[in-house]
Amino acid sequence: MSLLDYYRQFEGMSEEEVNQGLREEAAERRRKALTRVQTLDLSLTTWPELPHPRIVNAITFVARRGLHRYPHLSGSDLRGLLAERHGVDPERLILGNGAGELLSAATRALLEPGQQLLTPWPSYPLFPIMARRAHGVAVPVSGGVDELLEAAVREPRVRAIAIASPNDPTGELLSAAELQRLLESLPAGVAVLLDESLVEFVDAQPTGAALELLEHHPQLLVFRSFSKAWGLAGLRIGYAIGAPGSGELLAELAPDLGVSEISQAGAFEALHSCSELVERRVQVICEERPRVTAALRAGGFDVADSQANFVWAAHPTLAGGELAARLARSGVLVAAGDALGEPGHVRIAIQSAAATDRLLNAIDKAL
Amino acid sequence: MRTDPSDNGGLFVGRRPGTAPVHFRTIPERGGEKRQRVDGSIARLMLAAITLLCLLCWGPIPLACLWLGSQANYVTGSVSLGILASFVALFALLFGTLALMKRIDGAWILVRRAAGYDQRTGALGRIFAATAVVMAFAFVLWFVVIHGPGTGLVAHGGEA
Repeated sequence: MSLLDYYRQFEGMSEEEVNQGLREEAAERRRKALTRVQTLDLSLTTWPELPHPRIVNAITFVARRGLHRYPHLSGSDLRGLLAERHGVDPERLILGNGAGELLSAATRALLEPGQQLLTPWPSYPLFPIMARRAHGVAVPVSGGVDELLEAAVREPRVRAIAIASPNDPTGELLSAAELQRLLESLPAGVAVLLDESLVEFVDAQPTGAALELLEHHPQLLVFRSFSKAWGLAGLRIGYAIGAPGSGELLAELAPDLGVSEISQAGAFEALHSCSELVERRVQVICEERPRVTAALRAGGFDVADSQANFVWAAHPTLAGGELAARLARSGVLVAAGDALGEPGHVRIAIQSAAATDRLLNAIDKAL
Repeated sequence: MRTDPSDNGGLFVGRRPGTAPVHFRTIPERGGEKRQRVDGSIARLMLAAITLLCLLCWGPIPLACLWLGSQANYVTGSVSLGILASFVALFALLFGTLALMKRIDGAWILVRRAAGYDQRTGALGRIFAATAVVMAFAFVLWFVVIHGPGTGLVAHGGEA
């Protein structure tokens, strides 16, 4: 460094130069803010919107009223409202910390060590885990009701069948007729755990169709959730409905110390004031689901008939992980099938018409 | 006690004028301690040079210009030309000296920073004002006491 350069480095910038630099930085920030496109996350099956303010207010009210007390063990108000909604006796319904926990509890209650839990595969990843936790064995079965029946009849150690309907991740619905056929053909002593966490999105049959089967099939337990269409996954609340006379078994599934009062308040308010909101959500899904399915099939994808808020699709040449990575580069996240049981597939959530437009554009670019 | 920094009664409270930090284009690499001492000495010499130049502005330069004007008057026999020459020379020398001092003052800031001081402003304005006071005082002393009416008054008073 020359002598003059040494001293020149101590030259301060003029106010104009500093301001010019600040203006350029501000312009750059504005430009980036305008050009930034938020990532569209279609990898989750939970509802993407924030809970309705009324639900938040109800939770806040309960929180302020006093969290120093224990909640009501059986959650009688919410139970009563749910029982009335589904037209069942409140004794046949129990609340739990999410449908998943109730399913786990049911598996523990039913399975003896070494007994088997059948589950169609691919399906909800919790099913094999809950079998292991009950010291049982999870047996994945590819296919439909016939394959499940065959496996249940062949193996005497089968104690329960866990079915998600609509199924996560395929979105396929086990129709009431098929379910009835399964229930009527199963060997005695084999229970069916029907996870209906996504049932609100079904438009192929009434959402209460499976509940009607409870009247004549005591081996059936139906599990429902507030995590999906109700958009309250953070509250961790769900419920199970059993057949008449199943009170003893249901009591075994109920959480020992009940469900949080906050969760109960949120779910209660949701049922009271947000039913129409959920209906609108379901309507959007029922409009967008055929559109996404048709567009993907037109693009060469193999798409399962979905009754959920997502579709399960496979491209003939692209692996699921590769497709997910390409879509991620366009700012659209989908769930690669690797972690869900079939690496060739992706699970794409359906949200709104705008989200569908963006998804289809991103798929065009990705291919 | 109010602790909310935005609770200022509508008054925008910003940084006081003249307290903004100096923004450098790149972070300067300062020399060692010895070099900083040398830079400090150079800065003092530069300050002395500015002081000397300021003093020149308040006496010697105007006197030199008057002398130049008298020479022009003598050579050409024209009073107007002599006055013109004095003014031209005065402007040229004064503004030239001021420009030179300004440059030295700017360089002085850099050398002071190199010497390790957080120098934000120059010293020219203050030196210029100080030398003006000093030279005004010297002029009054000369005019009244040494060469002005004071000596006559003293002499007249003595005769009386």
